[in-house]
Amino acid sequence: MAVLRFTLSEDGVAVLRDALACLGKFSDEVSLEAKKDRLVLTALNTSKSAYASVAFATNRFFSKYHYAGVAQNRDKFFCKLYNRALLSLFRSRGGDPLHDRERDTTIDRCDVVITDEAGKKSRFIAKIIFRNGITAKYRLPFEVSPPVHAKFDKTEAVNNWSTSPRTLRQLMDHFGPGIDYLDIHAEDDVVNFTCFTEKAANGDEVLKKPLQTSVAVAQDEFNSFHVGEENLHIVISVKDFRAIIQHAAVLGADVLANYSIPARPMQLKYDGDGIKCEFLLMTVGERGAPGPKNKKTRANVKGATGPQLEETVTRADSHAPTPAPPVAPKTSQSRSNPIPSLRPPIERPSQRPPPATLESESLFVPQDNDEGWEPVNIDEGGEEEENARLGWDTTGDLNASALNMRTMMSNQPSAPQPTINNDLDLTQLEPTQRLSQVRKFGLFGD
Amino acid sequence: MRFKASLRNTRTFSKLVAALSSLEKIAWMRLDDETVRFTVIPDTGSQVWASLSIDFILDNWTIQSAEPNNTINLELPLVPLQRALKSATNAVSASLRLTKKDGVPILSMTITTSTAPANLPQGVARFNLNPANRVSGNDPYNDDDDGVFAAEPLETNLQREREKVITQDIPVRVLHPETVETIMQPKVREPDVHIQLPPLLQLKAISDRFTKLAIASRASSSSASAANVNPKLELSANMHGDLRLRLDTDTLDVESRWSGLENPQLDPSQLTCAIEDHPSTRFRNEGPDKWATVRVDGKDWSKVLSVGRLDGRVIACFADDHALILYVYVPHHDDPQADDSVVTLVKS
Repeated sequence: MAVLRFTLSEDGVAVLRDALACLGKFSDEVSLEAKKDRLVLTALNTSKSAYASVAFATNRFFSKYHYAGVAQNRDKFFCKLYNRALLSLFRSRGGDPLHDRERDTTIDRCDVVITDEAGKKSRFIAKIIFRNGITAKYRLPFEVSPPVHAKFDKTEAVNNWSTSPRTLRQLMDHFGPGIDYLDIHAEDDVVNFTCFTEKAANGDEVLKKPLQTSVAVAQDEFNSFHVGEENLHIVISVKDFRAIIQHAAVLGADVLANYSIPARPMQLKYDGDGIKCEFLLMTVGERGAPGPKNKKTRANVKGATGPQLEETVTRADSHAPTPAPPVAPKTSQSRSNPIPSLRPPIERPSQRPPPATLESESLFVPQDNDEGWEPVNIDEGGEEEENARLGWDTTGDLNASALNMRTMMSNQPSAPQPTINNDLDLTQLEPTQRLSQVRKFGLFGD
Repeated sequence: MRFKASLRNTRTFSKLVAALSSLEKIAWMRLDDETVRFTVIPDTGSQVWASLSIDFILDNWTIQSAEPNNTINLELPLVPLQRALKSATNAVSASLRLTKKDGVPILSMTITTSTAPANLPQGVARFNLNPANRVSGNDPYNDDDDGVFAAEPLETNLQREREKVITQDIPVRVLHPETVETIMQPKVREPDVHIQLPPLLQLKAISDRFTKLAIASRASSSSASAANVNPKLELSANMHGDLRLRLDTDTLDVESRWSGLENPQLDPSQLTCAIEDHPSTRFRNEGPDKWATVRVDGKDWSKVLSVGRLDGRVIACFADDHALILYVYVPHHDDPQADDSVVTLVKS
């Protein structure tokens, strides 16, 4: 029996596609979590500096939705899918709405059934019915593994603003290529958005530095703007921000940002009809210093070259086709450990509530297996999905100020090279299906 | 050293920068009391010496340096400059300033834009996702006639003109006068033929087609990959209004011909010799079969022709079997009397 079945209208497919495209900018994998009343898609990037979640209200978003559940876990079902495969099957099939004949090739509706049962192949089956009467059926393998949720403590986020995606998109239009970070800083009645990179340029390289752009937007262009602290510079990754506002612009939904101080996550959210999007982005930045000088930046942004020093996880593909153990309890032990969280470690003691940690860091590796904390082997990247393995890199000095990129870079040579964790190898199980087997169906694009 | 100015004619300036950057990514910019000069000297291919009167692209300028005529020499990357100018087109105002940030010299462009108010939010039509356009009540099956009406925001014009101030910082290097004094515009002998070129878009389309033909025929006849083939085009002109573009390879020989073009009169006061002794007079007297010919690299020629986006009048000066110089006269939109020239050099 099917665990979950739902039907999407043509518009629903389009909205789902947009959401998947946005999530795909964070990770190659998307976690699906289904409950009776909502379906949530989440993605966490490899450096764990950005978390994206899109929740659909099942009664509003789907034409039909039926959740049956599985024996082990009645109230929710979760699985992990390869986003590129989903994107390619929900892709828009040509068709110009102005021409009736071409309209025939557009998607009329889509029925999705997820089956997961002992003795049967676990599959995500999508049946796409086109206007012209053709029905395409896709079966995707999935991996049953619980999603990782990042939490956000709203009470600590004293700073917030809200604005139209159009305003944000207009300012992004002025940014050139080659930039990594975006600094948001309010001053008097204007809000400054400054983009920059920390890639070192020396000698003749000076001219190769990217254009540094700063856009000052009047505060009254925001629907609301409450940032109490003066000289607060909050820095996020431009790439993540761009992905978010692109999606928000498609939905036409106003973006609300909540944040507190640098090194604490920033929440960006917007809601559409039956859809709620939430993003948590790691921030860095500076307080109380005038001007964007001496900016401190996390080393661990996507795109940073060299081995990453903070907690790193390779493709979150744990090769565990069997139902994963139920969500590990948030033990006190996990609190006292150096917890991999969305937050780079900070040196100053925090008077704030306990950090917003990931629900459980032990979701990826067997609990109490210290080997799981060994650094990840970067040399293994060649085989990509086939060989992806999980592990944490905790070699970075967690007590040092991880906010300063230069400090991080200078640590680099002393960082031990990651080693392969053989114990993990033994516990590894074969995937339900090899990617190479699936590729021939042309689902994976290139 | 000080440099500060407002920008004008940003669209033309932007086109010029685009034309320059098709040849080379880094330019030498020389500013003084009267002119702004952009020079690009690629390792191979054509050089550009573009000289503009300062009021063509700048306004309210301040230029100060210890050099004669307050000369300032900068080396600057063209791609960021082009990107910055893109922000400045359609702007309310834009200004340029040489300054330092973290000890690094930059050319800082400050742009004020104003944007019209938002139209309908995007995406509304598609899925009706904007809560403002949604029927109130969470039950989609609810009767419409429930006496509950969705409140919509009042459309006002209060925030019609919204200003944004954009700062674009372009990294630059300040060049010492000594490092640039040895860079001289190449001296070329008096040209044999000078002729006004047909519309460059037309010339470029045909030249590009010839270049592709040459690459295709070469690639099919030998194992050389297309990227390594540098086909030569033969360009000739006479003093009787004819221009000829020719591709001659082992396997094919094609030619395009323009006639009725203008051979402008020379200004005797600008010449170093008497007009009767000028080589072009000899070429004219020898009739329409006397051609001055140069061979140009097809790929490089295509880049050079991108200067056509400036919509200028282009005079080609042929020194037979030696060099080709293109003078591009950029129309001065505010003052039609004053012509400013861009000089493009092609060496054959």
